[in-house]
Amino acid sequence: MDKQLIISIGREFGSGGHEIAEMLAKKFDLNLYDHNILEEIAAEKNVEATHIGKYDEVPRNLIFSRKVRGYSNSMEENVANMQFDYLQDKAAKGESFVVVGRCSETILKPYEGMISMFILGDWEHKVERVMRLYNLSHGEAEVYINRQDKKRKNYHNYYCKGKWGDSRNYDISINSSKLGEEMTAEMLADYIMKRQNMH
Amino acid sequence: MAQILAAVIFVVMFLLIITEKLERHVVTLLSGLLTLILVFGIGMHSMDAIVETLNFKEIFTVEFWYHTGETAETASGINWATIIFIAGMMIMVEGMGHAGFFRWLCMRIAKMVSYKTVPIFITFMIMSAFLSMFIDSITVILFLAAVTVELAHLLRFNPVPMILAEIFCANLGGAATMCGDPPNIIIGTSLGYAFSDFVANTGVIVLFAVIMMVVYFYVIFRKKLVANGAVDVKALPDPKEAITNKRSFVISTIIFLCAVVLLITHAQTGLTVAFIGLFIAVITILTSGKESLIFMKKVDYKTLLFFIGLFIVVGGLEQTGVLEIIAGLIAKISGGNVKLMIGIIIWGSAIASAFVDNIPFAATMIPVIKSLAVAQGVELSTLAWTLSMGTDIGGSATPIGASANVVGTAVAAKSGHPIGWGEYCKYMAPATILVVLFSMVFIFARYL
Repeated sequence: MDKQLIISIGREFGSGGHEIAEMLAKKFDLNLYDHNILEEIAAEKNVEATHIGKYDEVPRNLIFSRKVRGYSNSMEENVANMQFDYLQDKAAKGESFVVVGRCSETILKPYEGMISMFILGDWEHKVERVMRLYNLSHGEAEVYINRQDKKRKNYHNYYCKGKWGDSRNYDISINSSKLGEEMTAEMLADYIMKRQNMH
Repeated sequence: MAQILAAVIFVVMFLLIITEKLERHVVTLLSGLLTLILVFGIGMHSMDAIVETLNFKEIFTVEFWYHTGETAETASGINWATIIFIAGMMIMVEGMGHAGFFRWLCMRIAKMVSYKTVPIFITFMIMSAFLSMFIDSITVILFLAAVTVELAHLLRFNPVPMILAEIFCANLGGAATMCGDPPNIIIGTSLGYAFSDFVANTGVIVLFAVIMMVVYFYVIFRKKLVANGAVDVKALPDPKEAITNKRSFVISTIIFLCAVVLLITHAQTGLTVAFIGLFIAVITILTSGKESLIFMKKVDYKTLLFFIGLFIVVGGLEQTGVLEIIAGLIAKISGGNVKLMIGIIIWGSAIASAFVDNIPFAATMIPVIKSLAVAQGVELSTLAWTLSMGTDIGGSATPIGASANVVGTAVAAKSGHPIGWGEYCKYMAPATILVVLFSMVFIFARYL
């Protein structure tokens, strides 16, 4: 592939956004970056990945951390910045990849080859999916989805001006419940190809 | 009415500082403005209170720059001496950092002890305490922690124990002198104590405490200080590489030594800390040519503005008599028992400083101890040393208690070594309790 292609995928919990990201990565033969970024960062810094893994995509705790002269001792914030640096570095080197979450639609905005999308889903559809995948009851799945989405939203909105899930913030927003994950991915692939052919 | 307003502004300011929704200098400046308008203007209808709190006329007195008499002016409101001194030191430290002084010093010492982890650990602790006596602990930790992470990577050891020990010693060293920690600068300038007063009082406590802490940290961390695998010492960077410009390096070192001498002798020479701060800044600017602009731009103006706003808000509390009420409360609880009073001040300020910024706390407590000294007939200096030890040391207990802790743990985190609250407090809280306890016993034994 000559032109750089960065597919940034934001997603609601349970919408199948990650699965769609995997399909797109396979279709375009690209690396997929998600929580695996931390493993690479940990290896680079010679530390255990589990050490920093628990701070992945978690909002900063305002009471238990402070900022002094731009230095924050919030591990969540440091892990987030490490990931932003990592992604920016990959993008600056001209690499094409698919990235899930991590404020990528904002931090990689300057790159022309970046296509941002947000995957959402119908509530019942998401609950049913989460119940199946995580073996939870209906009530548990609802609580779990709410908690995860709240975390993602707070995380995102702390670092970015544009709001999480706000359609104005992404090139395309799509409800995966209508077509199912596979057909949604196909439709998005079609959109990506059309975008690429434009340039 | 004015009292309630002053107290409400103070509490809201504190809460806003903690939440960090707005930058802290914006918070204190806005609170300061509200104090001027609501407390002094509407509540007290007092122009005098505004003039006294803004304290501009103080700068234009000879006494502000050159101290002749024995008794010092204990002005309330904005403490311009603190602001000018801190600004001057910031410019000097910028110059030193730019020339590579701190990195060179760390590397030189590491090389001197042949890059062995335990000697590095001990020397870095002592260096942290020593440098913090003269330079702000944020700068000290910024450089020390960065070099520690670098050495840890090269020598393959875990930097966390070393960084924690350095943080503790930086806060400890800061307590030893008048210019080491912002609370001390405020205590010294507002109560009229000299550099030598601090050295002879808090300095002595710190000396013993440093020895105690070197042993403490060595005992608890000795098993973690083992380097994993052999390291080729020849492959390590030469300390000289740290020096970016030989001329600036020599000049900045001389200026630093000058500052140290001026500070140590300021009681004898009569030069005030405001004078020393300005002098050091001017010399740094004059000798650094083109770079002087960069140094001036790099001054942390936000911190200086934070101080200005803070002093106004505390001035509001002072002028309206809120702080006298607090002093009265402490006096009532202690029932005139000086030991109990000291216990309350040292533990109260230590616990408060562990969770909130110790600068506003110290600034607030100064009028309180002044009023306690007058009403209860306790020696003011004893209370001042008590407050100084409580606020300076208490800040070490948690990751957010003092600026050095934040910067140190941030540098560690950036290098992939997160230090959570649990791990931090497990080692640092007992150390803090030990030193505060020691300080209290020392104060009892020496002054009562």
